[in-house]
Amino acid sequence: MIVDSVAVKGEYVSGNRRRVLWTLSFVVLALALFFVTLGFGVFKISVVDAIAVFFDHILGNYVDPRADVYVWDTRVPRALGAVIAGSGLAVAGVVMQNDFKNPLAEPYTMGISSGAFLGATLGIIMNISVVPFVPAGSQVVANAYVFSLIPVAIIALFSKFRKLTPMSMILTGIAVMFLFSSISQILMVTAPSESLADAYAWRVGSLDRVRWDAVPMMAGSTILLGVLLYMFAGRLNVMYVGDRSVKTLGESPMFIRLATMILASLLTAGIVSYTGTIGFIGLVGPHVARIFIGSNNRYLIPASAAFGAAFILFADTVAKVSGINGLPVGVISSMVGGPLFIWILIKQRKNVWA
Amino acid sequence: MELRIKDVCFSYSSVPVLKDVSFDLGGNELVSILGPNGVGKSTLIHCINKILAPTSGTVLIDGKDVSEIKLKELAKQIGYVPYSANDSFPLSVIDTVMIGRHPHSRWGTLDKDLDIVYDTLRMLGISHLAMRAFNELSAGQHQKVMLARGLVQEPEILLLDEPTSNLDVRHQLDVTKMLRRLSREKGILIVMISHDINIAAKYSDKIILMHEGSVYDIGTPNEVITADNLRTVYGVTAEITKDDDAPHVILKDALPMDEDCEEASEKAVPSVEGKTDAAV
Repeated sequence: MIVDSVAVKGEYVSGNRRRVLWTLSFVVLALALFFVTLGFGVFKISVVDAIAVFFDHILGNYVDPRADVYVWDTRVPRALGAVIAGSGLAVAGVVMQNDFKNPLAEPYTMGISSGAFLGATLGIIMNISVVPFVPAGSQVVANAYVFSLIPVAIIALFSKFRKLTPMSMILTGIAVMFLFSSISQILMVTAPSESLADAYAWRVGSLDRVRWDAVPMMAGSTILLGVLLYMFAGRLNVMYVGDRSVKTLGESPMFIRLATMILASLLTAGIVSYTGTIGFIGLVGPHVARIFIGSNNRYLIPASAAFGAAFILFADTVAKVSGINGLPVGVISSMVGGPLFIWILIKQRKNVWA
Repeated sequence: MELRIKDVCFSYSSVPVLKDVSFDLGGNELVSILGPNGVGKSTLIHCINKILAPTSGTVLIDGKDVSEIKLKELAKQIGYVPYSANDSFPLSVIDTVMIGRHPHSRWGTLDKDLDIVYDTLRMLGISHLAMRAFNELSAGQHQKVMLARGLVQEPEILLLDEPTSNLDVRHQLDVTKMLRRLSREKGILIVMISHDINIAAKYSDKIILMHEGSVYDIGTPNEVITADNLRTVYGVTAEITKDDDAPHVILKDALPMDEDCEEASEKAVPSVEGKTDAAV
């Protein structure tokens, strides 16, 4: 009998070790792709040379100043942006799916992307800054950030006065999304053609705009909020039992849902306001990770982050070599992600989710 | 551990479900709540563990009003096994049961928690399922896993909503017998909702018979399971015999259903009869 207990424990521990190993292999994959992507772009340089330039810069000897500008000033922040966007959006996706016990939930479910886009169009087309004292260059980012949080703020406010079910929260998010999209559309219809093109380019998520000046904010917000969300991992596991039973396990389901939803929204806002809407990773990342890791959030959250980083690095590498001058990563991630997701759904033996 | 229900009323938006429910329970007993569908059995349990708040009246545990006990504290005192027909979790059995340890878990308790989970799985005869995915299990196995989750919570009061509804006869008897044993061994008060009168009568220390949102009768199985009571509450005629000093119900017929009591009798009769035949 004691032997059995030891065996079960051993199996449990080794199962968890397997999850950690999968996560580590995603991390290694992301790391490899991080270096590979440095070799791709309009400026021609081999992957090996680009990696050399990267380490030369860190060691302080600039062998080839031209290559240094391209690799260090453009591609490294862009690759970091890919890591941040991929991991952050995937983590936000895990949390949203959990909060709503809904495999379709993702970072944009609460209307975040439509809010961000409205904020951006206000800045680009109307030249309006909603945040005072923001330098002109950061106006669009600041607008996008503030507006992306409005739908969630509305939902949070509603839930103060009325008892909102998870479903009505999602529906509220969708309603706000339609409202914001229609306002954005009015602005675009009346916009002059140059700013229209800018607004349109903003909408399709791209890592083009991620330079060194954006990295500290993006990274800081993503790491901080990611850690805070990870502290909810145990409570997010409890959420699996359903709202009624959550209470009998000593937690308030509404508090967990609102708190993690707000954190995930801030996390998403901190990314989309710089990159625009990068689609699909928030949906696909968690699902792929679930297949390898299972749904225990203590392991699923880090694994999703690592997979998301690898996926966006890969998608952005493809994006950089597509078309004449490259395509936005948002297009590629959805283009690759869509078929990949369908393939996963077909291949999957069992329904991982429910 | 003393559970006192005092004048509890509950309405779902002006439709009264519970009407002045009062009773006291205490000690290490197995108590079954019986009554036809829709009589308010689940609602009553939900009022005890704060899933719902009574419209009026109070629930006291050892003299303390549950509305003043924090959820976190209450979770250590009252365990709950929900009616689990279609619950699903994307977790392994062991992780699912581990969730029941949540109210007690702290850093570094994993090893002890695993021991408790494993012992409980063994006791229920499902330790071989430990690493399986919860969603791959049969309905009966689901129910035992949910039961395990309630037990690892190590409460002083355990509330169960039809814990044997998906089990075959052997498991029904086994689980109910085990609940009786656990009430003694672990020194806890176990309250379960049941639809099988004979199994409840065989193992319960007390029966609470509910009728139209109130307690119709409460007492030992021999006191409560009478032909008159069953006639009023379930709308059936029955013959009561004795088996090992416990009452045994042989169902005879459903009372003619007029429009007023249609709902109650229509649902109660086939399910009780079906289970009784199988159990005998």
